Amino acid sequence: MENAVTQSSLGNIARSIHEGGLSKLTVLGIESTSHTFGVGVVRLSSGAPEILVNEFSRYVPEKGGIHPRDASNYHAKEAPKVLYRALSKAGVKLSEVSAIAIALGPGLGPCLRVGATVARFLSSYYSKPLIPVNHAVAHIEIGKLLNNLRDPLVIYVSGGNTLIAVQRRKRYRIVGETLDISLGNLLDTFAREIGLAPPYVVNGVHQVDACANWGEDFIDLPYTVKGNDLSFSGLLTAALKKARGAKGERELGNVCLSLRETAFNMLVEVSERALVLAAKSEVLLTGGVAANQVLNDKLKSMASLHGAKFYTVPADYAGDNGAMIAWNGLLHYVHGVIVRPEEAFIRQRWRLDEVDAPWLPED
Amino acid sequence: MASGGLVELTQGAEAKIYRTVFLGIPAVVKLRISKPYRHPEYDRVFKYKRTFIEARVMAHLRSLGVRAPSVLYVDPDAGLIVMEYIDGCRLSECLSEMPVGRVAEIALDIGRQTSIMHANSIYHGDLTLANTLMSSKDEVYIIDFGLSGYSRDVEEYAIDVHLLDRSVELLYSELKNAFMDGFWKGYSINASANFVEKLKDKVRDVRLRGRYVEERLRRRVSKDRYA
Repeated sequence: MENAVTQSSLGNIARSIHEGGLSKLTVLGIESTSHTFGVGVVRLSSGAPEILVNEFSRYVPEKGGIHPRDASNYHAKEAPKVLYRALSKAGVKLSEVSAIAIALGPGLGPCLRVGATVARFLSSYYSKPLIPVNHAVAHIEIGKLLNNLRDPLVIYVSGGNTLIAVQRRKRYRIVGETLDISLGNLLDTFAREIGLAPPYVVNGVHQVDACANWGEDFIDLPYTVKGNDLSFSGLLTAALKKARGAKGERELGNVCLSLRETAFNMLVEVSERALVLAAKSEVLLTGGVAANQVLNDKLKSMASLHGAKFYTVPADYAGDNGAMIAWNGLLHYVHGVIVRPEEAFIRQRWRLDEVDAPWLPED
Repeated sequence: MASGGLVELTQGAEAKIYRTVFLGIPAVVKLRISKPYRHPEYDRVFKYKRTFIEARVMAHLRSLGVRAPSVLYVDPDAGLIVMEYIDGCRLSECLSEMPVGRVAEIALDIGRQTSIMHANSIYHGDLTLANTLMSSKDEVYIIDFGLSGYSRDVEEYAIDVHLLDRSVELLYSELKNAFMDGFWKGYSINASANFVEKLKDKVRDVRLRGRYVEERLRRRVSKDRYA
């Protein structure tokens, strides 16, 4: 790989492979922070990382939003199946795996516990090192790996997170974030409350996007940017009020269109300010909402204004998945970050900027 | 309009900045630009609102003795403000070269000016080191009022302090304590001790509001247990 970040990490990895007398390094990663139970396997041999498999099963609520207990029951049922599928597809036996990586947070407690239990069991039963992984860091690193990036401005948007980050002094630093609900939560809650969802996404198109196509006119909605931070809760309340008073598809469409326009513009505005301040030449959009085409177009157009290149992550790797946990686990592992199974506690709140990222370059 | 030529200084995130001479006064032209990613109707309203509030707040602050550049000309429809040119550097760029004592003095002056602003129901909305200038005459200026506004809500003032605190932490984490101590000392010159306490509490609230702050979880748990 041409990537300097990965290059230096790979140097270390190659050394540890050599010193450990190993011919290759295989890490199995488990993700269960929210609606997805995922298992991924990443292998490193002769210096190039390869994603062997990325299997997952996604909990879709019949009504309402994600119920943590229902989701965790779902994970408990799915876990053995997904694990089995992943291992057989990858053609890897558990005994051949070098280490187990687990997303210990941030996320929903009951869901996290399922993945953690599976990972702690595998680690102790097969005597494999256990690697604690932060879900947000994993989202960023998989995007960097797939796009071969060195030092991007990161825009991470999902159902649980909305933040803008840059790497500095071997950590990801949060430049701006939401002060209340996330962008994904805003769109999902709105769609649910006006009766369009679930299902939230149909044929890859979010219900709010589908509804926005019915509208033409712009309505004024609260636009809340505080420095580089965002607030979406007032926007949600105002949009719901307007939507409940709307007559017919056209008027509802106007609300959807305006809601999307306002929310995305807020995010693009703070991203633009962060891009100028941090003077980066790469912009990376990751997380579940990265699949949204309208947001992609806006950010791409913004990045090109400042001569920066815009990158996004393919849907299977942008949403929650096990491969990203495996890859980030591998980066941690070669820098000696492991945890004893009896101390691998879940962390429902584990901020991105609390995690040491020893594989990042000096600055 | 301008009696001198236009020289482009920088392109910020939101506006282009030019240097010129306006009616014989060295001046800066701030021109908000349309963005291709915005709905055109939205873009128009946006530019108008930001330009209008920025000019209004700057003129008001000037009359209160806060060091903001004087407004010389404004055209909200065009997204244009012409203001006095301040020769100097942004604190985000030149703070690191100063001794700690000097940093504390500067922070004190920012605190003093911020408290005057807040006492007159004005919040800045983007108070960071990048939006504070050190002039060549050694005076601290506050600039960039596009996100500012009028409010009596302590929350808005707390956000100003929070943003400043975080920008110091991000750029010069080693100077943070000296800076914030100086800031509060300056803030307390005109504000009552009571108000300063209230504001400090609110700043803490705002900080804990970020995603996944562990302290918040603990606080809530203990509250639930003992309430």
